[in-house]
Amino acid sequence: MASTRTGRSGSDRFLPPDPRVEGPYRFTPQLALRIGIFGAVALGVFGVLFFRLWALQVLSGPQYLRAALDNQVRSVRVEAPRGQILDSKGRALVTNLAGTAVELHPADLPNTWAARLHELRRLSRIVHVPVNQMLRGIKARGSDPVTPVVVREDVKRTAPINYLYEHADEFPGVSVADTFLRGYPYGSLGAHVLGYVNEISAAQLKQLQRKGYSAGDKIGEAGVEASYDSYLRGHAGLAQLRVDSLGHPRGPLQTKSPGVPGESIKLTIDADLQSAAERAIRYGINLAFQHRQWQADGGAIVALDPRDGAIRAMASYPTYYPRVYTGRVTTKRLAAAGLLPTTAPQRNFPALDRSSNGVYPAGSTFKPVTALAALETHILPSPSTEIPCTGSYSVPSQFAGGAPQVFHNVDPFINELMTLPTALGVSCDTWFYELGNRFYNAPPSEGHPLQAWAAKFGFGRKTGVDVGPEQSGLLPTPEWRKRTFTAKTDPGNWQIDNQWKPGDSIQLAIGQKDLLVTPLQMARFYTLIANGGKLVRPHLVQDVEEAGGGPHSVPRVVHTFTQPAAQSVGLDPTYLAAVQDGLYQATHSQNGTATGVFGNFPVPIAGKTGTAQKDPSTNQKDQSWWCGYGPAVSTEPPQLVVCALIENGGFGADAAAPAALQVFKQFFKNSLSSTTRMTG
Amino acid sequence: MIEAVNTRARGLRPHSGEAAAATSALRRLDWLLLGAMAGLLAFGLWAIGGITARDIPGDPNYYLVRQGIYAAVGCVGFVVVLFVEPQVYRRYKRVIYGGTAGVMLLVLLTGTVSRHSKRWLDIGFFRFQPSEFGKLLFVLFLAGFLADRARRLGESRTVLEGVGLGCIPILLVFVQPDVGTAMVYTAALAAVLFVAGVRWPHLAALGMGTLVVVLGVLWLLPAAGVHVLKPYQEQRLTGFTHPASDPAGATYNVAQSINAVGAGGVRGRGEAGATQTNLNFLPEHATDFAFASLAEQRGFVGVSVLLLLYLLVVWRGLKVIAIARDAFSAIAAGGIVFAFLFQVFVNVGMNIGVAPVTGIPLPFVSVGGSALIANLLAMGVLQAIHVRGASRPKAYR
Repeated sequence: MASTRTGRSGSDRFLPPDPRVEGPYRFTPQLALRIGIFGAVALGVFGVLFFRLWALQVLSGPQYLRAALDNQVRSVRVEAPRGQILDSKGRALVTNLAGTAVELHPADLPNTWAARLHELRRLSRIVHVPVNQMLRGIKARGSDPVTPVVVREDVKRTAPINYLYEHADEFPGVSVADTFLRGYPYGSLGAHVLGYVNEISAAQLKQLQRKGYSAGDKIGEAGVEASYDSYLRGHAGLAQLRVDSLGHPRGPLQTKSPGVPGESIKLTIDADLQSAAERAIRYGINLAFQHRQWQADGGAIVALDPRDGAIRAMASYPTYYPRVYTGRVTTKRLAAAGLLPTTAPQRNFPALDRSSNGVYPAGSTFKPVTALAALETHILPSPSTEIPCTGSYSVPSQFAGGAPQVFHNVDPFINELMTLPTALGVSCDTWFYELGNRFYNAPPSEGHPLQAWAAKFGFGRKTGVDVGPEQSGLLPTPEWRKRTFTAKTDPGNWQIDNQWKPGDSIQLAIGQKDLLVTPLQMARFYTLIANGGKLVRPHLVQDVEEAGGGPHSVPRVVHTFTQPAAQSVGLDPTYLAAVQDGLYQATHSQNGTATGVFGNFPVPIAGKTGTAQKDPSTNQKDQSWWCGYGPAVSTEPPQLVVCALIENGGFGADAAAPAALQVFKQFFKNSLSSTTRMTG
Repeated sequence: MIEAVNTRARGLRPHSGEAAAATSALRRLDWLLLGAMAGLLAFGLWAIGGITARDIPGDPNYYLVRQGIYAAVGCVGFVVVLFVEPQVYRRYKRVIYGGTAGVMLLVLLTGTVSRHSKRWLDIGFFRFQPSEFGKLLFVLFLAGFLADRARRLGESRTVLEGVGLGCIPILLVFVQPDVGTAMVYTAALAAVLFVAGVRWPHLAALGMGTLVVVLGVLWLLPAAGVHVLKPYQEQRLTGFTHPASDPAGATYNVAQSINAVGAGGVRGRGEAGATQTNLNFLPEHATDFAFASLAEQRGFVGVSVLLLLYLLVVWRGLKVIAIARDAFSAIAAGGIVFAFLFQVFVNVGMNIGVAPVTGIPLPFVSVGGSALIANLLAMGVLQAIHVRGASRPKAYR
C-alpha cells in the first residue's frame, strides 16, 4: 500500500495533475477536526437531553406526578337535597322528590358539527326537548365546559331515560344523573308565599358567585324559596371520577365530601288556615257574583297573629301550581298557567301576590285611622263628641263664586247626631267628611296630622315582611301632590292638580281618592288596634330546623329569628277602646254594617267593612274589603286578625266579610266544637 | 490511504472467493455498533410492548407483533445491505436521486392522506412512507455527488450545485406537508457538506442563509401577512418556547408530554400505572410521543438506558467516518450519523419541551414500519462501510 502512494507521488513529478482523475482519499487533519466538532455537538446534545430529563424526572418528578394524578380526575358536584318548607305544625308544604336528569357534557359531544347535530336530533326525539333549546344551553355554558347542561329533569324514571341508559354508547357526552325535584304535596297551596326554584341564570351567577353559588345550581326565585335560599340550599358535595382524555368515565364515582342537605324552614303559616283562606277568596268571589258583581275576579286574605305579627295565612287569587316549574319546564306549560308576560292578563296575573303586591284604595276600612288621628290631635275632642251624620256634606268652593262641593253618604236619608263608635258602626261617610274637613283646616303649624298618624300606623311604607318583594302603597300628602303633578307630567291641569284641596282631605278621611294600601298593610294596622296600639313586623318564618324533620319527629332547631318587638305608637288607651267599641258595633249593633255576617258567630268578632271605589272614571267596580279581629270584647286578648279583599266585589259586607268569616270559622273550629259540646 | 484510481473498478467487480470475503467481513464488523443496534431494537420492541399494551382492547400485543414483523424485515434488509459494496450507490447515484424524487412526486399526486398530510403510498399489504427511506437515499446521493467533486469542493459553484440538488427533495417533503422530515433532510445536507470538507466561509454563509429562511418563514413573513406554513404548524414550531401559554390548545400536546415525562420520576410508574399514556392524555403515544410514554412507564432509569444506547451508536458512527476507505463512504457515514443524531434530539427534545413539535419518529422506538426498516438499512450501510474500511485511519497518525 505504501508503494502505491510513492508511485502516485512519483507520477506527480512528471505529469501535471489531471482534474478528471480522482485524487487519493486521505484522512486529513481537517476531517479529524470536523469529526471532533461533530462529536462535541453530539455530546452537547446528549448533555442537554440528560440534564433536562434529570430536572424533569428527578428534581420535579413528584410535582408532575401530582399534576398527572389531578389530570385524570374530574370533580363532580353531588347535588345536596334542598331543605323542606314546613307549616307551623311541621307539615311539609314543599318536599324533595328523587328524580333523574338528562345531562349534556358539551366537551364530550362529537367534534364535528354534523355529528353533534345528528346526536342532538336523536336525543331530541327521545326526550322531547327541542334541539334549539339544547344548543342555547350549550352556548350559555360556553366558558364553563365542566358543568353539564341539564336537558330535562323528570320525577320518574321514564321510558326515554331507560332507553338512554341502554344505549349510552351511542350518545357520547350524554349522561343520566340523579337529582332532586321540588314536590308540592298541597298542590297550589301557598304558591305565592312559597315561591319556586329554578336553575341559576347567568346574570344571577355573576352576582352570587362570591357567595358560593356555581353554574348548574338551583336557586329560589320567589317567596320563601328566594328569601331563605341560603338556608334551604345546603352545600353540594364533591365526588371524583376517573376519566380519560375524552372524558369517558374509567371508574366508579367516589364521594370525597358528602353534600350537606339544606335546612328546613318552618313557617308561621298554618296549612289548614291557609287552605281555608284560599277557599274563602273563591267563596267571596262567588258571593259577589250572587250580588251581580260579575267582574269579581281576584282577591287576597291576610291573617296575622296580633301578638307578634306572625302570618298565619296569606292567600292570593288567582294562583298557580308551583309544580309547573319542576321537571320539564316549557314555555307552553308556563303560558297555559298564565305565568308568562304575554299570557298573564288572560289569567288575571296569577303570579302576582295580591296580599303584599296588590295596591288598592282602602275605603271605609281606613276610617279607624282617621278616628284615631282626630282624637289624638283633638280635632275630635272626645269619643263622646257628637257630630251630625247627614245625607250629604258640602264644603264651600275654594274659588270665589264657585258652587259648593257636595259629597254624598251611602244612605242619603239619614240625619242624626252620632258619637265616634256609632259612626264607625254604621260607617257614616259624612261624619268622617267633617273630620277630613277639620284636618284640612288645621293650622299649618301642625303639619299634616292625618298623614302623620297614618304613617305611624305603617301606611305608605313597606311592612318589612321577610318575603319580598313588596309594594309600599301610597299615602298622599300636599308635598306628594306638588312633586307628582308638574308641567311635565300633567301639562293641561297641573296648576290645579298640584294643589291640596279640601276634597283631598275629605276623601282621605274615608280612605278614598289617591290613597293606596296593600292588604298586608291593612292587616298590620288592624293588628295594632287588636293588640293595644303596637305596630308589629309581619313575618312568615318561625325558625330554621335541621334537615330531616317531619311531623312525627322533633327536629333540632338550628336558628330562630327574633322579630323586632312590637313598637307602641303611643296611642291613648281610651281612644283605642272607643275605636274597638266602634268596630264591635259594626259587627254586632243593629245598624252595624256587617252584623248580618258576624252577629251570630259564637266568637265575638270586631271589624270594619270597606267598599272602595277604585277609580270612578273607569268602569271598574268597588273593591270589597273587610278587616277585623277576634275574639273581641272579652277577657282574653284577640288571637287572630283577618283582612280580606275581593277585587271588584262590591259592598264589603257582601263579599269580603263573609270570606273573612270562613277564615275565623277554621281558626276557631276547635274551640267552637268544644263550646258546642258544652252547650249541647 | 489505500485506494486510488481503482476504487470504482473494485466496487464494480468484487474479488472472487465470495465466501472468504463474507467470513472476513463478519470478522471486521463493528461489533459494538451491532450490539448497540441490537440493544436499541430489543429495547424499542420492549418499550412499544408496554406503551401500546392498552391501546387495542383485547389485543395487547397488536402493535408489538406488527413492529416485530417490521424489525424482522428490516434485519433481512440489514444483512443484504451489508453485502452491497457502497460504491454501487455512488455509481447509481443518479438513479437513486431520480427514483427518490419521482416517488415523492408520486406521493404528492396519489398518496394517502392522513392527519392533513400526504406521506404514504399504498402498495397492497403495506402502507409505505417513501420520505423515511428517502433520508438514507438522499444522503447516499449527496455523498456520491460531493465525492465526485472532491477536488472542486472549495469552489462555491460546487457547493451551490449540491445545495440546489438537495433542496428539491427537501421541498417535495416540505409540501406534503412534513416539516419534520424536511428538517431532517436539511440537517443531513448540512452534515454531508460539513464532512465532505466544504470551506468554513461557505458553511457560514449557508448557515446564515438557513437562519434567514427560518426566521422569514416563522416570523417575518407571517408578520407581513404571508403564511408559508399552516397556522397549526407555526404554533407547533414556536409553541415549545412557552408550553404553558395555551395548555388546552396548540401546546396541549407538549404540556401533557412534559407532564408524562416528569410523572415518570426516577423509576417510572410501570405499565399499568402510567395514567397519562393509558387514559390517552398523551396524544400519539405510540409514535411521536413514544419517548414521553416510555419516560412515564420506565422513568429516568429507562430513558437513560435508551439515550446511552443512542450515544453508543453515534460514537461508533463517528468512528465509521474516521476509518472509511474513501471520501464517498466517509461523507455518507457522516450524513447517516448526523441525521440519526438530529432525529433523536428533535424527537426527545419535543417530548421534553426543548425542541419544536414536528412529526419526527424516535429511531427504533416509534411505531412505524418504514422508519424502522429505513433505520436498519442505514445501520447496514454504516456496517458495510466499516467492513470495507481501514482498520484505523492511517494517514493521520
